[in-house]
Amino acid sequence: MSVATVIKQHIVSEYAPDTSVDELPSSYDLLDTGLVDSLALLGLITWVGERFGVPVDEVEISPDDFRSVDAILRFIEITKSA
Amino acid sequence: MPVGTLPTNPLYEDFHDRAVRRPDAPALHWHDTVVDYGGLAALAELAYAELAAHPGGPVALPARKSPRAIALVLACLRAGRPLLLVSESLGRRTLNELVERAGCGWLAEAGEHTTDWTDLGPAGPGAPVLDPATAGLVLTTSGSTGTPKLVPLGAAALDRFTRWAHERFGLGEGRTVLNYAPLNFDLCLLDIWATLRAGGCAVLVDPEHAVDPRRLAELFERTRPQVVQAVPMLFRILAEAGTAPVPEVRHVVLTGDHTPLPVRRALPGLFPSAEFHSVYGCTETNDSFLHTLGPADLTEGGTVPLGRPLPGVRTALAGPDGPDGPDGPDGTLTGAGTGELLVATPFQTDGYLADGAPGGRFTTGPDGTRYFRSGDLVSRAEDGTLTLVGRTDFQVKVRGVRVSLEEVERVLLGHPEIAEAGVLALPDRAAGVRLHAVVRRRSERLNSLALRAYCAERLSKAAIPAAFRLTGDPLPSTSTGKVDRGRLRAELLEEST
Repeated sequence: MSVATVIKQHIVSEYAPDTSVDELPSSYDLLDTGLVDSLALLGLITWVGERFGVPVDEVEISPDDFRSVDAILRFIEITKSA
Repeated sequence: MPVGTLPTNPLYEDFHDRAVRRPDAPALHWHDTVVDYGGLAALAELAYAELAAHPGGPVALPARKSPRAIALVLACLRAGRPLLLVSESLGRRTLNELVERAGCGWLAEAGEHTTDWTDLGPAGPGAPVLDPATAGLVLTTSGSTGTPKLVPLGAAALDRFTRWAHERFGLGEGRTVLNYAPLNFDLCLLDIWATLRAGGCAVLVDPEHAVDPRRLAELFERTRPQVVQAVPMLFRILAEAGTAPVPEVRHVVLTGDHTPLPVRRALPGLFPSAEFHSVYGCTETNDSFLHTLGPADLTEGGTVPLGRPLPGVRTALAGPDGPDGPDGPDGTLTGAGTGELLVATPFQTDGYLADGAPGGRFTTGPDGTRYFRSGDLVSRAEDGTLTLVGRTDFQVKVRGVRVSLEEVERVLLGHPEIAEAGVLALPDRAAGVRLHAVVRRRSERLNSLALRAYCAERLSKAAIPAAFRLTGDPLPSTSTGKVDRGRLRAELLEEST
């Protein structure tokens, strides 16, 4: 399973259980739509850290890094290669 | 009191004149029969005699529609005997409480063939003494919680209202008007009482048949009304059933609710020769605003404005803190903004009857005008256009931001795939309150992700529901076809525990 699919599966099962992975576009704005609210965002960041071994406590994170699945993929890539 | 000394009631007098001059003109359609003015006047004469045989105190009439019930109302107007018109579906306890508060001496139950009179005994010591000048007809508020409030309407208010309705909708001889509302609703002041005063004919829809598309279509086909006043539900039923067009209709009056876009779009097909009016009002003030829908209102999304105040109507918007805020009633908004609508009409009640706070919903403006606090949240645009946002009761704070639940519902209903929507604020340990939306979708293609994106384009972030439930089943609804928030709330709370 690709990283994108793993992320999507998590988001869909947590925040939009009526939908499937295929229905969540990678560019979907998770924040402006309220799908991931400020409380849920903290949980999502923690999950990404644990699932993909990203040291989320040590890097500076902006909400934009979690705005979409695409953004999260970029964030993982950049932090891991840093 | 000898009859000669009674002040005459203009509504009754005009009806009586019509009956004398044109006894064969149709007055009422009821089931398969037509009652003419002579026949109705004879029933009213009979009711007048019965009234005299049951003296003492106001009369309470459960509003079961029938020519006999209408005749009794006319007889009470003639006799100057205050009449309490109550819903026929009230529980016994609520009915008892209302008749006691109004000090009614008799309960009159008008059936098809007879009227049953029940002696309620002498009024209690605290009962009000009703004056027909200010309380000829007593209606009730229709709130779904608590005991309804008693709303007395005086002869002069009835006179002014029925005259306005007559002129505005060209009522009169040869004009047939559809009466959809139950007999105790203020809407009947237009479709029954103004019609009978003007010499027209009222088509009474039996509440038992009110949601039966086949019977409704048959009634239109047979009676061919020129004026139709109803809540949007009637038009939704007609549209969904594919009812044949009724070209005789000249005026359609939409009341009581926002008319959803799919219904607005269907209107010109149903009534190809009609003008469509949206009327805003409540039992306390009666009709206050009228907006005649333009082509855009009938085809495009968005909200229909409240329209123009009726002649003699004055309005103001209370500031964010309302008339109870530090600014007092002077704290009204002058420019654009959103606030509670204050309204004063020539048709309004003097205040609630036998109520701990008879003037509780009234406030005196800086110019001395006695305004009714509508409880409706209204926004005023730069150009002065007023639009209804929702009830102040349905305004909640989500993370410190004011949100109108009804506004969120309206945005959801604007989505072509959504048939019904209910939005509730439920308590949440972490967030204070969270908005939950329950929608009936027309197809399974629509999911919560698409709906969120749709809301994000149209609502502030705080107003986007935190949780969506999409279903194919009808939502629980009230008798007037509105979503039943109470039951929806109970369902959601049950699921979450």
